[in-house]
Amino acid sequence: MKIHCQLSQPILLDLQMQVRDFTVLLGLSGEGKTSLLKAISGLLPAQVSPFGELAVERRPIGYLPQGYALFPHLRAWENVAFPLSRGPKRRDEALRLLGRVGLQDLAERFPSELSGGQRQRVALARALARKPELLLLDEPTSALDMATRDEVLDELVREVHEFGIPVLAVSHDPHLALLADHMAILRHGRIAQEGPPAQVFASPLTMDVARLLGYRNFLTGQITTMDAQHALVCGLGWQLQAILQPGLSLGMRVHLVLRAEDLSLGLDPDRDHGNALRGRVRQIRREGLNLRVYVDGVASLEVLIPRGQAETLRLAVGAEVFMHVFPRHVHMITT
Amino acid sequence: MKSLFAPIRSLNPTTWTGNALALAVMIFLLAPFAALIAATDWQHFHFADGDMTAIRTSLIYSGVALVLSVLAGAPLAWWLAHAQFRGKWLVDALLMLPLLTPPLALGILLSSFYGPYSPVGSLFSQAGIYLTNTAPAFVLAQIYGAMPYFVLAARAAFEGVPPELEQISRTLGRNRLQTFWLVTLPLARLGLSAGVALAWVRAMGEFGIVLIVAYFPQGIPVKLWVNLEDIGLSAVYPLLWVFFLVAVPLPVWLGLRARKHGLF
Repeated sequence: MKIHCQLSQPILLDLQMQVRDFTVLLGLSGEGKTSLLKAISGLLPAQVSPFGELAVERRPIGYLPQGYALFPHLRAWENVAFPLSRGPKRRDEALRLLGRVGLQDLAERFPSELSGGQRQRVALARALARKPELLLLDEPTSALDMATRDEVLDELVREVHEFGIPVLAVSHDPHLALLADHMAILRHGRIAQEGPPAQVFASPLTMDVARLLGYRNFLTGQITTMDAQHALVCGLGWQLQAILQPGLSLGMRVHLVLRAEDLSLGLDPDRDHGNALRGRVRQIRREGLNLRVYVDGVASLEVLIPRGQAETLRLAVGAEVFMHVFPRHVHMITT
Repeated sequence: MKSLFAPIRSLNPTTWTGNALALAVMIFLLAPFAALIAATDWQHFHFADGDMTAIRTSLIYSGVALVLSVLAGAPLAWWLAHAQFRGKWLVDALLMLPLLTPPLALGILLSSFYGPYSPVGSLFSQAGIYLTNTAPAFVLAQIYGAMPYFVLAARAAFEGVPPELEQISRTLGRNRLQTFWLVTLPLARLGLSAGVALAWVRAMGEFGIVLIVAYFPQGIPVKLWVNLEDIGLSAVYPLLWVFFLVAVPLPVWLGLRARKHGLF
């Protein structure tokens, strides 16, 4: 499904994008993600397609706002039954939908008696009762506990695939995009990049996109050598080999972006990688079971390594280290 | 578990002073009513002529005034809660006028506006409706006394309903009217019930406006005054007891109902 949206208030948006299966639109807060969803569902006056010519209540769209907006005065099944027309089968239909999201046992509970994940599923069942042709999710991960987040998300993705309705989820969370079938990036009111997540994550088109996708290391240099497969990029006191990308030429200035988790640390420069950068450890920070190591060298760089590796290396602040990276993990941005 | 902690909590000095203070204020407010029990001559408890008619008049016309106040006031309150425009403060200020005006003065205003010699009053009398000392005049006076309070309470109640829930209802296929009925009204029920109770009490107890605009037909408040003037205190207390008996159940019932889920 192709989506078009032109909005002027409360924020300027002019974009078109594809929605396939489970699609995630990534953007920083304040970029107008919620406004986009409200415009598509008809709650904000805007030029949108599809369904732009229909009144809000006639659009076949299921909208799950942040926090889910369950009706506090209605029980779970009554919430799900809300869009259903009155009749003898109303309750049965609501219970069937609740059953599909695994919550039939909680049908008599009020929203205040449900957990974040359970509320989300009630809201999903309620949106599905409307028989939508498009589902809109606003920050589906924000109200979930860290402990159960991944589980709930997997479940959500599995469910929306099962229902076979295209889903557009907006989020600032790159993790969610990794679960998507298709993704796009919202920047300054436009789509900065879109495609399959594997492709977008591996090759961001701009520095903004790279930052949003969680890239932490940026270097600027010049292409000095090119062969059939590789390009050699040189900067002040460093050189890195990268896999050739289309549209490059000798002497071109390029930005290199490297993921913190694609770098590894060693105490000696010559390894089979080919690429090594020298630096000194400035700071080490725990990040779950990993360590985020900040290294000062040719630039300020970040490396994410498993704690085991840090123990083997006996890493300490002030130590001299070498960072290694495979040429295929060195991504070039030409703008 | 709860009862286990109750004695400890009551020893807490702040809770203790809080309770004592609340009790003192309650006593202050209710003492005159307790005195009424002593002041009533229970052995010779009897009603004056016309008391029963006054009770019927008050009940029926207050009911009519309440229904009209709610029917007309609810849309206005909803609009006040939702409309956004420049100069809304002026509308807000103007709507305070009927609340601010002393009842007697409001009665005088009404009788000069709706009276037989005014343009509006003569227009009504051409249609066969006389707005002085008639049932419609009585109801009109009560509406002016009661509706502003209902609008004030209902507006606050509507403003307390999260707009997001009303929006979600629209995306779930419900139009504005259905949304109002299914979402706004149930979620505003506490405040609305308070508003209805307030309007009822105001309508039942309205004296100043009614005295000027509709001395007849006599409702309980005017009849209390008449009894006092014509007979004396002994004729006031019995009627006052009945007034409590008929006026109090509705607010109490509304308060109890509203605290449960669902509207009524």
